[in-house]
Amino acid sequence: MTSAVAAPVAEAPAAATRTRRSRRDTWVALGFVAPTIFGFVVFYLWPSLRGLGLSLTDYTFFSETSFVGLANYQRLLADETFWNAMAVTVWYVVLNIGFQTVLAVLLAVLLHRLTRSVVIRGLVLMPYLVANVVVALLWFWMLDAQIGIVNQVLSWVGLGPISFFGSEAWAIPTIAFVNTWRHLGYTALLIFAGLVMIPRMLYEAGRVDGASEWQMFWRITLPLLRPVLALVLVITVVGSFQVFDTVAVTTMGGPADASRVIQYYIFDLAFERLDYGYASAVSVVLLVILSVIAFVQLRLMRANESDLS
Amino acid sequence: MVAVDAAVPTGRVPAQEAGRLTPGRVLAWACLVVIVLITLFPFYWMLRTALSNGTTLATAGSSWLPVDFTWGAFRRVLGLATLEEAQAEGGTGSAVDFWVYLRNSVLVAALITAGQVFFGALAAYAFARMRWPGRDAVFFVVLTALMVPPIFTQLPNFLLMRDLGLVNTYAALVLPFFFMTPFAVFFLRQFLLGIPREIEEAARLDGAGHVRTFFRVIVPMSWGPITTLALLQYVQAWNEYFWPLLVGSERSVRTLTVALGVFRAQTPQGNPDWPGLMAATLIAALPVLLLFIAFGRRIVDSIGFSGIK
Amino acid sequence: MKRRLTVAATALLLALAPGCAAERPPADSGGWDETGEVTYWMWDANQLPAYQRCADDFEARNPDVDIAIEQVGWDYYWGRLLTAFVANSAPDVFVDHTSKYGDYTTRGLIEPLDDLIARDGPDLAQYVEGTGDLWVGDDGRRYGLPKDFDAVGLFYNAAMAREAGITPEQMQDLTWNPQDGGTYGDVLARLTVDRNGVRGDEPGFDPRNVETYGLGIDYPPGGGSGQTQWSFLTATLGWSHTDKPLWGTRFNYDDPRFQETVAWWRSLIDKGYMPPVEQSVGTELSQLMQAGRVALVSEGSWNISTFAKLGGIELATAPTPIGPQGHRAAMTNSLADSIAAGSPNKGAAWKWVRYLASPECQEMVARGGVVVPAIASVVPTAEATIGAHGLDITPFTRQLHEGTAFPFPAAHHAADVDSIMESAMERVMAGSADPSSLTAANEQVNALFTQG
Repeated sequence: MTSAVAAPVAEAPAAATRTRRSRRDTWVALGFVAPTIFGFVVFYLWPSLRGLGLSLTDYTFFSETSFVGLANYQRLLADETFWNAMAVTVWYVVLNIGFQTVLAVLLAVLLHRLTRSVVIRGLVLMPYLVANVVVALLWFWMLDAQIGIVNQVLSWVGLGPISFFGSEAWAIPTIAFVNTWRHLGYTALLIFAGLVMIPRMLYEAGRVDGASEWQMFWRITLPLLRPVLALVLVITVVGSFQVFDTVAVTTMGGPADASRVIQYYIFDLAFERLDYGYASAVSVVLLVILSVIAFVQLRLMRANESDLS
Repeated sequence: MVAVDAAVPTGRVPAQEAGRLTPGRVLAWACLVVIVLITLFPFYWMLRTALSNGTTLATAGSSWLPVDFTWGAFRRVLGLATLEEAQAEGGTGSAVDFWVYLRNSVLVAALITAGQVFFGALAAYAFARMRWPGRDAVFFVVLTALMVPPIFTQLPNFLLMRDLGLVNTYAALVLPFFFMTPFAVFFLRQFLLGIPREIEEAARLDGAGHVRTFFRVIVPMSWGPITTLALLQYVQAWNEYFWPLLVGSERSVRTLTVALGVFRAQTPQGNPDWPGLMAATLIAALPVLLLFIAFGRRIVDSIGFSGIK
Repeated sequence: MKRRLTVAATALLLALAPGCAAERPPADSGGWDETGEVTYWMWDANQLPAYQRCADDFEARNPDVDIAIEQVGWDYYWGRLLTAFVANSAPDVFVDHTSKYGDYTTRGLIEPLDDLIARDGPDLAQYVEGTGDLWVGDDGRRYGLPKDFDAVGLFYNAAMAREAGITPEQMQDLTWNPQDGGTYGDVLARLTVDRNGVRGDEPGFDPRNVETYGLGIDYPPGGGSGQTQWSFLTATLGWSHTDKPLWGTRFNYDDPRFQETVAWWRSLIDKGYMPPVEQSVGTELSQLMQAGRVALVSEGSWNISTFAKLGGIELATAPTPIGPQGHRAAMTNSLADSIAAGSPNKGAAWKWVRYLASPECQEMVARGGVVVPAIASVVPTAEATIGAHGLDITPFTRQLHEGTAFPFPAAHHAADVDSIMESAMERVMAGSADPSSLTAANEQVNALFTQG
């Protein structure tokens, strides 16, 4: 990531001027980043440290707090619900990213190769304008096993009823679908933006060589899209690990913990059972896992850069 | 990341010459139509439900038209219905100060957007166009904020707001998002990296300092991505749910997303006011939709590509 | 490298030290001002108009106190209350629930009222028997004055019952036992209709293809108390949740009587008389009744106005069935107003609570036609008003008049008990575990109390 900053240095006339100027530049730069640094320290770093500190205590909001060392982390190792929550979350991320990426690439390619209609591009972005919570409630209702419209339609063709949110097997795929519905247009447009930058000549050359659309997709589009895809993945993977709203307003972790994703587990511990110290410990572990994933992804992305430049 | 190609694609290049109807193209169009239909159907369902009568809604769950047509839900949301009218159609006895919530949402989202875009642009400039010691390290640290799960920082932030006595004020709603969001910094930095060095050099040779170069040259040049970013962040801030629920639940500062709770179940095992909820959702999405129509082409055309490649 | 690590670690510790010191419990020293604004939280929007009238009346009598009522829906109520307490912005007075107030007393967040009651009244004899006792905590102190009470009963689709040849008289005297289900079981079978129009008690009934189920089921199926789901059955067998009615420390989910009842209840799903539990995630029972998907549900009296408002359907009420020991049973619960210990004007708050518990205010609540107040003298008014709105509430209230009601089993660790029992019951009802697995759940529950 950092090495990517290829900033050619302005050739200054004299070394002395250069030093003075660069020192002044440093102050200006610090002034420019000061608000960001301030926001980072006060609202990200400080609360993170405070959370880290609390994870070493038995804080419960109302009673006296005492230091318990690593007891919360020990408890976590033996906590089956925690490990189940991790597994559920990973399953969700795999499904969500899978659906979303495949569909978004498909949609972006369709938008790119079929039509340049701004109206259609606008329409697919509409779900993004509705709040997460409401999207979740709406689908919760439409997908209801007994009186939801989707199951009504399924029953006309002789299927179902499917307990989309109620069965252990369907709950996570359903939640992944709902979130895909909301974010598909947004992700597709990010990818679309990448497609627009692939030189048209390549397709024209491909057509002259008699390549089909299908072949061109695999030979031209996908390879050249890799850096964009990598970036989209970093944003969406970290985002999907943080799935919370949808679960909170629909299944609330059920049935039988089948959708108890890690963020919801943390929320449940902190706000329902007031076990804030332990909830913090779980958060710290989540933070570590996310950092590792992001780090690996960024490494992989850097490996991809050679494709383009 | 990769260096950014600042050449702005027009997005107006005609797609593949239309007219040749191959089976492949028919299939592709069919895919696109299906995706658009799945995207739009829930909006129709919202409208149909919003125009239904709450007390009879469930008697005709699969009716494609509004059940027992009424404008009552919209009247409830806008605070035009009397208590008796509202209760007669399955609404709550609770008053809805729609215009207060709307004002709060607009104010909070606008403040957050202004702060994020302005400070984000400053920081992006410093990260992309200036050389100063520790720059890359600081940038990396700021990016790590992307990995911090919101739930991890929200509670300590909540305690901080409590200690500052800011709970239930606009300040509490805005501050944690105001100074920075890693996405904004990242997004604009990637764009700025792509601006040809010469343009800036010219300004510098004319004797302009960094501050002037930034405001006179860089900002006007980056108007496209800045607008895009502003709209994206506005949508995000508009739909923010958990944090406003935590620190801004009091009527005077309550935002629309939090106010939607009025339409959810008011008693254990009670019925949500579905028509009210759907009407409120449609109305809450309206201001964003208007912005979207006003600046739609710009978003749709420039989303993402300035941020990535 | 090593030195750098040390420096970093030291910096970290320095940063953490004040962090830990700052997490002290919030200030709990309230004041006893007799004036000012009293904030009051409640969740039931249907009752808001009646309470607003009480507040107006109260303000007229006490010009130096302002009442600010805020209604917060049940779905958010407890979460918001908690954060409000953490933020020192809790309401001065709030409607409290028996399953929750234990959490508030152990943390010292609400004010005991004994001294105030001794000084200013009211006479506790004015309450319907049993409602007041629920508000005596395990420390022997009283934390609330009951405002209303509820009980469990049956709502059924009267038109469907008529079609099935079941008379309203039959519905008033159902019997039940865990072996064959008694006449209650017969009625549920009779009310069930498959897609070919065959009833549940007729030959050729297809339990996999049901149009209307006899009985509805909630999700999650019951938690620790089974208030509206199974408690009215288990109690007719002489079973009780805990070793003593209130603040018990040993639960009895390992008792065969309890497990037999659950086994019978679950058998309804296999027979096709009740929807599979996984299909019940999401929709409320009232909506399913309205959609004609279920014909009968066991529900709490607090939802009677919701049911009365349902359009396009003819409903009636009935009492819970009579068990093998010859009596009915219904869990009853009462809500009360509690005063936050940290309130700066507890004097004014007490005046308001005292007024809320007065016959004047409760008369207005009774006329609101939503709940039955706990003050015995206004119960007939409430029964009449609710009845006039369409549904008869006496099948619910008779359990209190006849002494067959039993109290909600208030206990500590309520949230943990619920969470253990919710998942255990869910596994049983979904068919992935046997009712005997509830013995293991019971051990988990009881361990909560022995670990201290």
